[in-house]
Amino acid sequence: MIVAGIDVGGKNVHTVIVSDGNIIAKAEGPTGIKKAEAAEQFYNEALKQAGLKREDVERVVATGSGGKRATFADGYIADAAADARGVIRLVPSARTIIDVGGEEGRAIKISAEGKVLDFAVNEKCAAGTGTFVDTMARALEVPVEEMAKMSLQSTRSIPMNAQCAVFGESEVVSLIHQKITKHDIARAVHDAIAGRIGSVARIVGLENDLVMIGGVAKNVGFMDSLKRELGMNVVTPDDPDYVGALGAAIAASAGVLEEEVKAKVVEKETIEEGK
Amino acid sequence: MEASEILKQFNDVWELRHEYAKDWKQRTGGKVVGYFCTYAPEEVLYAADILPIRILGAHETPNLASPHIFDMWCPFCRDCLNQGLQGKYDGYLDGIMETNSCLHARQAFGAWVIHVPTPWNYWFVMPNAVRSPRAKSFLRGELADFKKAIEEWTGKTITDQDLDKGIDIMNTNRRLMKQVYEFRKQDNPPITGTEAMTMVWASQLMDKREHNELLKQLIEALPDRKLDRDTGVRLMIIGSENDDRPFMEMVEDVLKGTFVTDDHCTGSRYFWDEVVPEKDRLQAIANRYLDRVPCPNKDWGMEDCSKKRFPHILQLARDYGVQGAILVQQKFCDPHELDIPSLRRYLEDNGIPCYFLEFEVTVPVGQFRIRVEAFLEQIEAEELFA
Amino acid sequence: MAKYEAKRLDCWGKAKELRAKYYQDYKEAHDRGALRWEGGAWTFDAIPQALEGEVHGLTEEPYGASVGANPEVQVRYQEAAEGKWGCANDLCAYLRNYWGSIILNEFVFGGEWPKADFIFQNHICCSHAKWLQVAAEIEGGDVPFFCFDVGVGAYDKIAERQINFVVEQLYDGIDFLEKATGRKLDDEKLIQNVKNTYDSSCYWAKTCMLNQAIPAPLDEKTMFSLYVLGTLEKSNKDVANFYKNELYPEVKDRVANKIAAVGDEQCRMLGDSQPPWAFLSVYRYLEQYGVVSVANLYTFSLIGWWKIDEQGNMVPYPTLEEQGITIKDRDHALRLLTEGELKGKLMWAPFYGANYKNDLVTKIAKQWKCDAAILHLNRGCEGTAQHQMEMKIALQNMGMPAMTFEGNMADERQFDEPRTKRLIDLFITETLGLKKVAG
Repeated sequence: MIVAGIDVGGKNVHTVIVSDGNIIAKAEGPTGIKKAEAAEQFYNEALKQAGLKREDVERVVATGSGGKRATFADGYIADAAADARGVIRLVPSARTIIDVGGEEGRAIKISAEGKVLDFAVNEKCAAGTGTFVDTMARALEVPVEEMAKMSLQSTRSIPMNAQCAVFGESEVVSLIHQKITKHDIARAVHDAIAGRIGSVARIVGLENDLVMIGGVAKNVGFMDSLKRELGMNVVTPDDPDYVGALGAAIAASAGVLEEEVKAKVVEKETIEEGK
Repeated sequence: MEASEILKQFNDVWELRHEYAKDWKQRTGGKVVGYFCTYAPEEVLYAADILPIRILGAHETPNLASPHIFDMWCPFCRDCLNQGLQGKYDGYLDGIMETNSCLHARQAFGAWVIHVPTPWNYWFVMPNAVRSPRAKSFLRGELADFKKAIEEWTGKTITDQDLDKGIDIMNTNRRLMKQVYEFRKQDNPPITGTEAMTMVWASQLMDKREHNELLKQLIEALPDRKLDRDTGVRLMIIGSENDDRPFMEMVEDVLKGTFVTDDHCTGSRYFWDEVVPEKDRLQAIANRYLDRVPCPNKDWGMEDCSKKRFPHILQLARDYGVQGAILVQQKFCDPHELDIPSLRRYLEDNGIPCYFLEFEVTVPVGQFRIRVEAFLEQIEAEELFA
Repeated sequence: MAKYEAKRLDCWGKAKELRAKYYQDYKEAHDRGALRWEGGAWTFDAIPQALEGEVHGLTEEPYGASVGANPEVQVRYQEAAEGKWGCANDLCAYLRNYWGSIILNEFVFGGEWPKADFIFQNHICCSHAKWLQVAAEIEGGDVPFFCFDVGVGAYDKIAERQINFVVEQLYDGIDFLEKATGRKLDDEKLIQNVKNTYDSSCYWAKTCMLNQAIPAPLDEKTMFSLYVLGTLEKSNKDVANFYKNELYPEVKDRVANKIAAVGDEQCRMLGDSQPPWAFLSVYRYLEQYGVVSVANLYTFSLIGWWKIDEQGNMVPYPTLEEQGITIKDRDHALRLLTEGELKGKLMWAPFYGANYKNDLVTKIAKQWKCDAAILHLNRGCEGTAQHQMEMKIALQNMGMPAMTFEGNMADERQFDEPRTKRLIDLFITETLGLKKVAG
């Protein structure tokens, strides 16, 4: 059976094609403001990669903040639910998930069956998200990947605010003027985000195994900071930013429920250029 | 001892507050009680030979506090709770108390009682209607209940002589700190605002008897102290609690300004008014807490919309030759947010320019420097063209 | 076909009428030579309303909520408060709506801002006294202002000293009223007003008690429109009569005949604090899953009076008739009023610590047979949103699934509707495993 999962995040779209439980193709790219078009584009890319046509895919399930824009999908599943299904497949011992994407950081407590028991979200604030990382990297005038590596070279801990991205950016500028090295600032940035995400995670309780997914899981600086912040081992699966899409595909293979089909959104993309 | 050495001791207590309290316990065998708010009646605690210490934050992002207090409440209160959750007070803090203070401190206390292993806790009902004559007997009754609770806890009766001792310790401390403040009226104060603030913070973190001895020595040493610095613009700092030392150092060491006085919760508002002795000691203590310079959420009257704190602030500004005021407000601090628009108008109408800054547990000192520098230049330009 | 019969309340229209009349009377008061006063929902309105002649009040929180229900107006008023007065945008949202209204000289119910003759306020949280103190200042500083303190301790600590403190302040308040208005307080009116206050407060609690039935006869969205009368003028005869003789009997009848608020009730929800007023559609959204919000400490005890009985259950506070009390004179009236408010208004208990809130909400969760909790982390009101994270832990410790979402009761700029719906979707479909109901 071939199914597909599409995660339309605030920043990026990730799609996977799964055949008999294995990922056979994947694609990703920026969401932009035309979410429906982006979802189509990257779904088509994944299909092309797999050498398949749409009719070869039995079911498609979408997830993510823009998931309901993927109007071609057969159903939609909440993003935390997708995370839970994806993670429990890859790490059966997982009980706590942290997912930090471009726009949202969240922590999820799951059962052994992968059911979402509790969740906490870094709401209405850019701090503790991938956007915060990007903003701080810009302030330091280095690419995100380089900032991540730089932070590993620091041995100094400087407290920095990550309650508010605007304050955070001001602080980075301050630290630069105080002639603090970029390595130390980079570590301060990652420690601050890890502190913020750690705070959110503590709301659901930290139970082993703790699994980190989402784009920011690829940031080595952040992962180092997170492990120090939580004092726990953190498992990161390969391709952590695809786990949500995988979870959606698993939901597709489990059978899309009647209600989910009925809940399919038929809104059209109405955002016009410049508005 | 030289003034600088004494001031260093104050700084050491502020930085090493837990070590100080643990050492005090070992030396004296006494109990230590933490409080969140300046309305805690420390006189009664000293009467019972208890060391009262103010719970302050550590300027760390309160990462353990999120499961217990919503993140959009006061960062200082969450920082305080965070210290408790981190275990910084474990093993030496015997009791924790709360005094009908702001709602955020109440939440910090509420969570502390559930999650931090402090053996004894007490909710002291400090009335809000401090200007009502009816509050006097109510508060006296509250103090009587508090005294009884402490007696039950310690197993020791508190006599009138004990209360006299407690009142004397507190009043002496207040009086001596005010004397130190007098030096700040000089054209070139021999003590900076940062140093004076550290003195007050230390008062809230150590045995005031020991603090008093250091204060006496400081008062003797200050006349001979000459600071090699330009006083610059004479500033007043007003607001919520403030122990943001890097900010104050930035203004005083980097820019051309000196904090010559203040009205805030970890500053003069804490100690400005003494207990006026009376035969009824508990009534005397009650009167002091009702009549003192009020916290904003208790600063309201029974007949009109006037505020008691504002003329007091203006008088301080006049007495200390203040040229400008920096209004420092902890993010999300409702009591001060309610007062600040009125206070700005009041001070500016009375010729005191104001600058507003919002603080978090860590502050962007660099950005604040640019802004405060512009404020100081504005004041200097006004003076030039006055 | 739905599991239970559901229908609209018969007395619904009367509630709307009473509310509309209240604001109309306030607006027109001066035209009729009547007095106007400003105060809070928790002000003991029995007292100013006992002045000789015609008197009408405006309570600040319901006014702020009325503005908050209209996002366009609310943003304009708040921007006036923030931009022109210069206040912070995290202050109580109702308060900013209120100040903005004065600054723009607009009354949200039409016309110019109707200035009051005096202010009679009570204080318990950080904001109450200051709210109207500053409002008076914005209006020019010439409106006489009186405020009394009710922050005397939790309901289980109320004894003579606490009652005396409040009663003595009320006597001062009466002196203030007579001096400020040149009118005398009419003791007969006062006594009747106190009786009405008891009826309003106790019968609202009795009505809430009926929501323990399965199916629940009322849902929270409906209850919001019903408790509001008690926040306007609980001492008013028509309001008391509404609660005692119209609403309560009708809801009792609904219970007897299994008439439900939500015909397909399959999940009973516990709430907390005010909802985001401009987004009450979220309740209708929940109903698609058979979820009915049946209980909330805020909804129950903002005006309702309760007590904890010997078995440790939350039960309605006894009326004066149930206590066998006839009010004798002014002093008796003031004492009974004070005692009822201090002992009965359990909404005030959380002001004294998380343990009080946890105790009350876990009792409510059990007694009202709640299956889950959705907690609005309300940035707009620190008073009602105290200890919510501790409350979540307490509910989860008793085995109840609980979720939170951030928002603001009356500032739509701080509420993310799409995100909130996503979180609720997740909670309802995943954690609770509910499916949409038919119909």
